[in-house]
Amino acid sequence: MYLYLPVALTSINILLPIGLGLIVGLLSGLFGVGGGFLMTPLLIMLGIPSTVAAATDSNQIVAASTSGTYAHWKVGNVDFKMGFYLLVGGFIGGLVGVEAIKILRAMGNADFVIKITYVLMLGIVGAYMFIESLSSMRKKKTEEVTAVKESKIAAFLKSLPLQTHFEKSGVTHSVLVPVFLGGLVGILAAIMGVGGGFLMVPIMFYILKMPMHVIVGTSLFQILFTCIEVTFLQSYTNHTVDFTLAVLLLLGSTIGAQAGAIFGRKLKGEQLKVLLAAIVLAVTVKMVLDLTLAPSLLLAQTGGH
Amino acid sequence: MKNSGLKNRIVIIIMSLSLSLLYLCINNAFAELTVKANHDHIKIDSFYNGSSVGVRGISNPVDADLIIKITSAEGHQSLHEKSKVGSILWMNTGELKIENVPNVYFLHSTRKIENILSREDMDKYVLGYPSLEQHVKMNVTNEEDKTRWFNEFIKFKESSKLFDTSVGEIALKEKDGKQNYYILTQWPYQAPPGNYTVTVYAVKDKKVIETATANILVEQVGMVKSLAEMAKNNGALYGFLSIMLALGSGFGVGLVFRKSGGAH
Repeated sequence: MYLYLPVALTSINILLPIGLGLIVGLLSGLFGVGGGFLMTPLLIMLGIPSTVAAATDSNQIVAASTSGTYAHWKVGNVDFKMGFYLLVGGFIGGLVGVEAIKILRAMGNADFVIKITYVLMLGIVGAYMFIESLSSMRKKKTEEVTAVKESKIAAFLKSLPLQTHFEKSGVTHSVLVPVFLGGLVGILAAIMGVGGGFLMVPIMFYILKMPMHVIVGTSLFQILFTCIEVTFLQSYTNHTVDFTLAVLLLLGSTIGAQAGAIFGRKLKGEQLKVLLAAIVLAVTVKMVLDLTLAPSLLLAQTGGH
Repeated sequence: MKNSGLKNRIVIIIMSLSLSLLYLCINNAFAELTVKANHDHIKIDSFYNGSSVGVRGISNPVDADLIIKITSAEGHQSLHEKSKVGSILWMNTGELKIENVPNVYFLHSTRKIENILSREDMDKYVLGYPSLEQHVKMNVTNEEDKTRWFNEFIKFKESSKLFDTSVGEIALKEKDGKQNYYILTQWPYQAPPGNYTVTVYAVKDKKVIETATANILVEQVGMVKSLAEMAKNNGALYGFLSIMLALGSGFGVGLVFRKSGGAH
């Protein structure tokens, strides 16, 4: 059955967005990512204009992350305190990132910076997570080297003022750390036009040293608020949120997020990381191919990246 | 002697002109062309997935060729140009701006337009891609670039199903000394709401001898119209409702899973 999308001005087989929502919702519940880096390109492939795809994706992420946050909260896997500080940083970083994009656009090389940032970030994060997780699964870590590195970073983090204990995560950090890291992700997320979950998850794990299952719930909590803000701004300023498409996507994604949360508890942290890294790397390879292979059409709709 | 020669020449010229005018008048007096689109009000509802439009009419003389053009109003279009950066990466590197161009352009003819119509009339009535290329204005510096990017533009529009041409798909049938014609065209869902003009051209001796027009209205109705209007005119409310629905759905599904034991 086909449904007409009033804002995207296109018709779509309803099974496609529902199925897509289910898959991305599953990833969301499993890894604590919004899935924007995956969903938006797939929607564009289905013929949705890029601006509508990005804006509507934010709307469906609100549903998926609500469903996912709720599921993780019920089992005590959301660190609201950490999520709040990351959110404050993310909000400030988002504003900085939006200004940076304005300057880059005025200079005429925004598209280049966006694409290169995307590929580099996805590639570095994906490769690092993949290698690190595999080696820790095989228990081939050189613990001494890691210990030295950790002690230096830990010493620096502990020297910062405004130290506070995050009970749910069982870690103590300066308030400045999550605010700064949230801000960093916020800048990159604004430049890349994504929620930033795939960047936030590794940062929470490797720098903030949070347990993997708390990371997923906390990341979803942060993504929920980021995407509420983005959905409202996109509706208000660009009129690019397609309500009908969002409903179809969230039909799948809300159920997928619950299923992801269930499966996630049956997998080990290292297994989760390897899976997420593999997906991030696959998206990176797809992006590199898109950038280097000659496209069939040399013209594209304006408005997207 | 000189005067009588001049008079003779004037008489010959006048007679030739009169005969030419008479021929044209007779030709046009007998030229008859009607057009009717059988589905001239396309309603876009929630289950819309494109439509079909049948164009039919009568043409006289029976040996005239026919060209059927369906277009939207001309306007401005803007698209990203992709080209290689540093000999490696394909990226959006510029913006192609085109003026005087329709968003939808369908052209059907009984024979190849180049074989039945003079280039002068093709350009006059903007019939065929070469004439459309002449007609539009583009932000390019030379003719070579204009042809290159216009060809890319046609590829882009044809892939979006908004431009299409066909030859020999108009069904013709002679009846009562007149020619009945008919073509059934698929109306793509990609064609946006708006007014479209169907123009039929009767062509003989490489000239357009008669034209007839009909209109097609494509408009959104019901829920589709309400949502599109709210998104455009009341973005704040639309955004608020979208967020509320997403939050409600997320919690709703969460509760269902919790009750069914899924979340434990």
